[in-house]
Amino acid sequence: MTPLFDYDENREAASAAKVRALEALLIKKGVLGSDSVDAVLSHFETVAGPFNGARIVARAWLDSDYKRRLLEDTPKAIAELHFPGMDGAEGEHMKAVANSASVHNLVICTLCSCYPWPVLGLPPYWYKDPVFRSRGVREPRAVLREFGVPISAEKEVKIWDSSAQIRWFVIPERPANSEHLNEAQLAALITPEAMMGVALVPAPPAA
Amino acid sequence: MFTRFEEYAATQMLGQPDSPPRSEGKLFFSEEWQRTVFGMALALSKEGHFEWEDFRQNLIHTIAAWENSACGGETRWDYYERYTIALIAILEQCGILEPGELERQLTPDEASK
Repeated sequence: MTPLFDYDENREAASAAKVRALEALLIKKGVLGSDSVDAVLSHFETVAGPFNGARIVARAWLDSDYKRRLLEDTPKAIAELHFPGMDGAEGEHMKAVANSASVHNLVICTLCSCYPWPVLGLPPYWYKDPVFRSRGVREPRAVLREFGVPISAEKEVKIWDSSAQIRWFVIPERPANSEHLNEAQLAALITPEAMMGVALVPAPPAA
Repeated sequence: MFTRFEEYAATQMLGQPDSPPRSEGKLFFSEEWQRTVFGMALALSKEGHFEWEDFRQNLIHTIAAWENSACGGETRWDYYERYTIALIAILEQCGILEPGELERQLTPDEASK
């Protein structure tokens, strides 16, 4: 952070003290449980989020049979992994598509703002932006170039429009030089953007 | 359509003036108090103490008040400071806090004078 944006420490301390006092007061009044904050935030931190998607993709990279099942019947293949967050309506109609040497997939949403929460977490701010929505359909290669993902002319670009019926996510290509990594190490490389098709998974540092 | 309150609540905010900071698909907190205040509002609304939409209107109002304040000499933008103001406001509106009650907690010496 540059000095210009240094935060006033007193202000930070005052905010922290105010929130601590508020929490203590509400617990004393009996309107808030001592573990209520952790309980409600665990949904975002451990139940439904991009960590699920990363595990699914890593498994698909390591197990070609699993990848086949994932592409054939996505909800069923996800259910094999027993995630706790897949019981919500948002997770019911997910469909995976795989990037390959000949195809690059891009997920957008021109109808509403449907998004596969349980596997990708909270959508980025530009997902609802009219510019991304309309240009993603009309000139996907230009949009992908701006995201730092130039797609060669030989490669087909497929656009998937998420809707209330189907929420798409992308299985990105496994990066080079990742043969030595286990499932958890592979999952750590995978970002939500890669699973939307607006980023590639970078090669890991050499072992 | 949403079976989970948490997803409903966060989705209502996305793309709106009260959209929370996030990074890589996750909520973004730079300090523990930010996480606490975000979770408190969510937990209290989930328990039925106030409607999420009513809290959001407070938050949108307090964000607009900052946006409309004169440039220069104003405090720097802080989403969770706005959020804290909005939470205290809704708690006073629904009668969980009396006006000034939290301030008296923060300065007990002053209150006892």
